[in-house]
Amino acid sequence: MFIEFFFTLRERGIPVTPTSFLRLQKALKLGMVRSIDDFYTAARAILVKSERYFDTYDQVFAHFFKGVTLLEPEDLELTEIARAMLEEWLKNPAEMAQALGLDEKALKSMTPEELIRYFFDRLKEQTEAHHGGNRWIGTGGTSPVGHSGHHPGGMRVGGRSRSKSAIKVAMERRYRDYSQEGPLTEFQMGEALKRLRRMIPTGPRDVVNVDKTIRETMRNAGEIEIVFDRRLADRLKVILMIDNGGWSMDPYIAVVQTLFNYARSQFKDLKLYYFHNTIYSRIWKDPQRRHQAEPIDEFARRDPETRLILVGDASMAPYELMHVNGSIYIEQRESNASLDRLKFLSRTFRHAVWLNPQTEEEWDHTWTVGIIRQVFPMFELTLDGLEKAVQHLMAKH
Amino acid sequence: MNQKNPANRFRGGSRYVLDDELAKIVNVSMALEMPLLLKGEPGTGKTMLAYAIAESLKMPLIVLNVKSSMKLVDALYQYDTLTRLNDSRFGDSSRDVSRIEDYIRMGKIGQAFVAEERTVLLIDEIDKADSDFQDDMLDVLDQMQFDIMEIDRTVTAKNRPVIVITSNAKKDLSDPFLGRCNFHHIAFPDPDMMRLILGVHFPNLSQDLANGCIEAFYGLRELRGIEKKPATRELINWVRALKADPDFQAKSLSRANIPYLGILFKKSGDLNMAAQQIARTR
Repeated sequence: MFIEFFFTLRERGIPVTPTSFLRLQKALKLGMVRSIDDFYTAARAILVKSERYFDTYDQVFAHFFKGVTLLEPEDLELTEIARAMLEEWLKNPAEMAQALGLDEKALKSMTPEELIRYFFDRLKEQTEAHHGGNRWIGTGGTSPVGHSGHHPGGMRVGGRSRSKSAIKVAMERRYRDYSQEGPLTEFQMGEALKRLRRMIPTGPRDVVNVDKTIRETMRNAGEIEIVFDRRLADRLKVILMIDNGGWSMDPYIAVVQTLFNYARSQFKDLKLYYFHNTIYSRIWKDPQRRHQAEPIDEFARRDPETRLILVGDASMAPYELMHVNGSIYIEQRESNASLDRLKFLSRTFRHAVWLNPQTEEEWDHTWTVGIIRQVFPMFELTLDGLEKAVQHLMAKH
Repeated sequence: MNQKNPANRFRGGSRYVLDDELAKIVNVSMALEMPLLLKGEPGTGKTMLAYAIAESLKMPLIVLNVKSSMKLVDALYQYDTLTRLNDSRFGDSSRDVSRIEDYIRMGKIGQAFVAEERTVLLIDEIDKADSDFQDDMLDVLDQMQFDIMEIDRTVTAKNRPVIVITSNAKKDLSDPFLGRCNFHHIAFPDPDMMRLILGVHFPNLSQDLANGCIEAFYGLRELRGIEKKPATRELINWVRALKADPDFQAKSLSRANIPYLGILFKKSGDLNMAAQQIARTR
C-alpha cells in the first residue's frame, strides 16, 4: 500500500528507507491508522527522521492525497459535513447564507433536508479539484467557502474546527522554517564545531585512575595505593582570521558574525584577526584594521598545533594575490606577494582550513579561489562544509 | 487506535498539554515497540512528555541524563572495582569478595531492563554524547539485552520499556540511529495552545493576565537579534514571578513595560538587546 507515495517521497529527496516503509505497513496492519489524519502523523513519525524534511513531506502529502480523497468522498465524511453545516445554520444563519451563496431569507425558508440536498448537489458538480473557479471547493476560488476544501472531511463549514484535517495541516507548511534552505544558526555551528576540541589533563589530581590503582596496589603487595589523575580539559588553541573588508563580503556578514560569536564564546584560547581580501605582511586585531597590527612573521613563534581558520570569499583581482606590490592600499609597501604569505601560514600551521561563505559552485568563477585552494583546503561555510573542515582540522597528519 | 486495551493508551498527564498529533505518535511508537526521538527548541516540553507518559500510564520513570563524557557501559552497569578492592583489603563488609556479582550495579538502562514492571525510560539529551555511544545504545535497545563482561552474564529485558529519547541538536543524528527510531519535532506552541498550557499550570490565572502575558511573550520572541528566544519554560516562570509580585497590575503590562525581563532572557547579550528594543518602542 502507498508504494507510490513512498517513491514520491524518495524522489523529492527525503531519505526514506525500505525498512521504515515496512514498519509503516506493520503499523497499518496493527490497526493503528484509521483515518487520513492518523496516516499523516504515523507515516511522518515513522518515515521522516528530520524536521528539515517535514516541509517537503507536507507538500508531497498534500499533492498525493488531495486527489485520492476527492475522487471518492466517503459517506461518513459527508454526514459529518452535513452535521457541521446544520449546527452552524442554527447558530449563525446569516453567515451560513453568505457561505452558500444564498439569500438569508431563502435559507431560512429551507428545511434542514433541503439545505443538505442543496449542499450535496453543489458537491456533485465538482468532479476534481479546481482552483480559481467560481464553483465551490478549491483554493483561490471566488466562492466564499472552503479555502481549504480539498478534502471534504476537512472542510468544516461550521465554526472553528478544533482538529484540523491532515491535508489542511499539510497545506499550511508549518515546517517551512525548518527546511534545509534555512540560514546557519549559531546553534548549528556549535554542533558542527563541538568536535573541535582537544582534551588535555589539567588542574588538581582528583580523579581516581582505577587501572593504575590496581597495578600499584599489587606492586604494593595488597596494601592499597590509590592513584589520582588530572581531569581532562579542552586546551585547543584556535586562530580565526576573518576577511571583513570590501563589498564582496557584505552578503555574508550575518553568517560570519554568527561564526564569530560562537567561536568567541566557546573556545578558551582564541585569537581573532582581520584582513581585507588577502593577507600581506600585517594582520589586524581590531576590526577597523587600523590600530593594532601584528606582523605575519611573528606567527612563526606560535604553537604549530594551533588550528588556523581563515574565513573569506577568496575573491579579488589576481594581482592582489600574486604581485609583490599587490596591496590595494597604496601606502603599504611589501617585500613578498600575498600568496607567499599564505603559503608561509599554511607551512607554519599544519592544521589550517579556509572557510568560504560562497557556495562551492561559485568557486570556479573566480580565479583567485582556485589559487588559494591550492594553499589551504577550502570548505563551504555551511553545516556540511563546517563538519568537513572540523574533520580536517582534527585529523592527525 | 488500540481500542481493545484502553488502559494502555496515552492521553496526556495532569500537568502536560498534549496535542493530538503527538498523542498519536506516542501511541504508534508504543505499539511498534520503537523508541521515540523528540526534537525541538529547548523549553518546549520534550522532557516533560516522558514524565507525562509515565504519569498517565502509571509506570515508573527512569531518567538517563546523558553526559558528554559518558560511555555506554556506564548507562548499562557499573563494576565497582574500588569497593571490591577495599573489601578485599579490609574484609569488613557483608559482601563476598569472590562474587563479582555483588559489585555490579545496574545503570539506568540496566534498571529499566531488570525492573519487574514495564517502565518508561527517558534518555535525555542524547546529542551530548558522541555518535558511537548513540549507535551502540540503539543496538542494546534494539536487542533488549546486554552482556556484563566481568561475570559473563547476559541481561535480558523482562519488560520492553517505553523509550523516549530527546535531542536539542538541530544537527541530525546518525542514519542507523534514526532508522531505528520514530521521530517527532515539537513545534513551538501557538498562542492558543500556550493559553491551554498556562491554564494547566495556573488553574486560577485571570484572563487579563493570561492574555497580556501571552501577547507580550510572543512579541518578545519576535525581537531581532535574540540568540536564545524565551520558551514555554521561561513563560511559566515569568508568570509565576508576576503572580508573586503584589504590586504588579495585569493592566500595566504593555509592550513598553515588561517587568522581570531577566526571567525571559537568560543571556546577558539577549537581555541588553531586548531591553534596548523595548525602550525604543516607549
